[in-house]
Amino acid sequence: MVNFAKQNAQRRSDPSLDRSGPALIRIASLEKRFTTRSGEAVTALSNVNLDIRENEFISVVGPSGCGKTTLLRILAGLTQASSGSVQFGGEQITEPRTDVGVVFQQAMLLPWNTVLANVMLPAHLKNDRSVATAKRAEHLLAFMGLKDFTKKYPFELSGGMQQRVSICRALMREPRILLMDEPFGALDAMTREMMNMELMRVWSEERKTVVFITHSIPEAVLLGDRVVVMSPRPGRISEVVDVDLGRPRTLQTMGAPRFGELCDYIRSIFGSESNTVHAL
Amino acid sequence: MTKLLRLLDPHRLQSLLLAVAAIAAWEGLCRLLHVSPLVLPAPFAIAAKLQSFFVTGTIWSHLWATLVEIILGFVFGVLAGLVIGAMISLIPIVERLVYPYLVALQTIPKVAIAPLFIIWFGYGLTSKVVITALICFFPMLVSVVAGFHSTDQDQLDMMKAFGATKWQTLVRLRIPSALVLIFAGLEIASVLAVIGAIVGEFVGAQAGLGYLIVALNFSLDVPGVFAVLIVLSIIGLAMHGLMRTVARRYIFWIRRNEPPVMA
Repeated sequence: MVNFAKQNAQRRSDPSLDRSGPALIRIASLEKRFTTRSGEAVTALSNVNLDIRENEFISVVGPSGCGKTTLLRILAGLTQASSGSVQFGGEQITEPRTDVGVVFQQAMLLPWNTVLANVMLPAHLKNDRSVATAKRAEHLLAFMGLKDFTKKYPFELSGGMQQRVSICRALMREPRILLMDEPFGALDAMTREMMNMELMRVWSEERKTVVFITHSIPEAVLLGDRVVVMSPRPGRISEVVDVDLGRPRTLQTMGAPRFGELCDYIRSIFGSESNTVHAL
Repeated sequence: MTKLLRLLDPHRLQSLLLAVAAIAAWEGLCRLLHVSPLVLPAPFAIAAKLQSFFVTGTIWSHLWATLVEIILGFVFGVLAGLVIGAMISLIPIVERLVYPYLVALQTIPKVAIAPLFIIWFGYGLTSKVVITALICFFPMLVSVVAGFHSTDQDQLDMMKAFGATKWQTLVRLRIPSALVLIFAGLEIASVLAVIGAIVGEFVGAQAGLGYLIVALNFSLDVPGVFAVLIVLSIIGLAMHGLMRTVARRYIFWIRRNEPPVMA
């Protein structure tokens, strides 16, 4: 563990590895409390502090009930913080923004619309029906390997394809930040690995800041520049782990010794919190 | 050709055979046991009566009268259900003020108040249309309200996250989501409309298939009653079939939820 901390420190001091700029998102002493139906007060998030830099890929990992989805909902402007601040480029996030794209756990496509119409939804909501927009939607779908499916309906697509459409939709308005809430959690293991690679490809093409929520430690390490490790009751950040694996990463990366070390280290963070070890 | 093949589908063939067997058994038992036609007429006697209805043309004016009642009653009842249901779903104050009373009103058996409508609207077409509309109204209302409530919360979040206005969410998400149950309501209403018209005619009428049943019953023409029942069930089936066809067209994404063929 000492060795690991040393490596982490080395990485931080190495400017060639530094892809960072100034913080795009600044989360400071964020707290979120709910009152359940039975009148019980629950603290979903407690004292969360995090800076997310431009073009950074942040993985958030933690057991269920650690508030990771609540954190994403606050970033998306769907839920209000109880106290503390969440700033995006210096502005407080209070409602959904057009420069944020969201991918949900389920694909959440409109079943009565074609694939193309689903991808164009964010543009249509802004009454943007320009040719350029249609071109962009078609480009995104082609990039995601869905060129021949633009006129199909969601029910004609497999789960993985539906989620790809959902990613296209989130990218439609060229958001500066992409929020992903366990987007591949409902997919089988093979499709999931394929989607991970696909996402890496998208991320290298359309440089975005990504906040990726998952409950899979290997997935978090494979994708992220940094892994935010959260623990439940109350939901808080236990540690932020730098992932010093080179890019581009492939499925072979998962076989590298360093990958295994990082996964083990993150697992050990959960292990030290005995009450959460079973949740994983 | 494909239609013929579909008729020959083993399951359809089996149920068809079952019907033929049941009718044959019915006919056989009636003859064998010398059942009085006043109690249970044999299928062939009913068929002969049905044929004579159409050959002599006595049924046409009654059929027409009932059809008009059914269609007008259905249209008015369903439209009222749609409009009031939508208002209850979309305007919270209407739900709070009006819905409890509507539910209370629903508990009154419509058949019991049918005589009142005869007094208020007379023996003619109007009273039957009102009764039919009232009977169609409630299932439609409930379906519309349930339909608007059935919108998926996560889908609402999705629309919000992409910056949809309330109006856009209504048009692009809530109304299409509600369609599934609205069409279910239409299906129920289409069958109930036939009942509504007949109930109205039973209470007091000068024409219609319900009136014809009462008249035939009075003269102990039981095969004639059965013949009218067949006509009525054909009307009901046709209405229901029409609604299903329309539904399949407009909510095409529902019944095709089988596992995707493409991987």
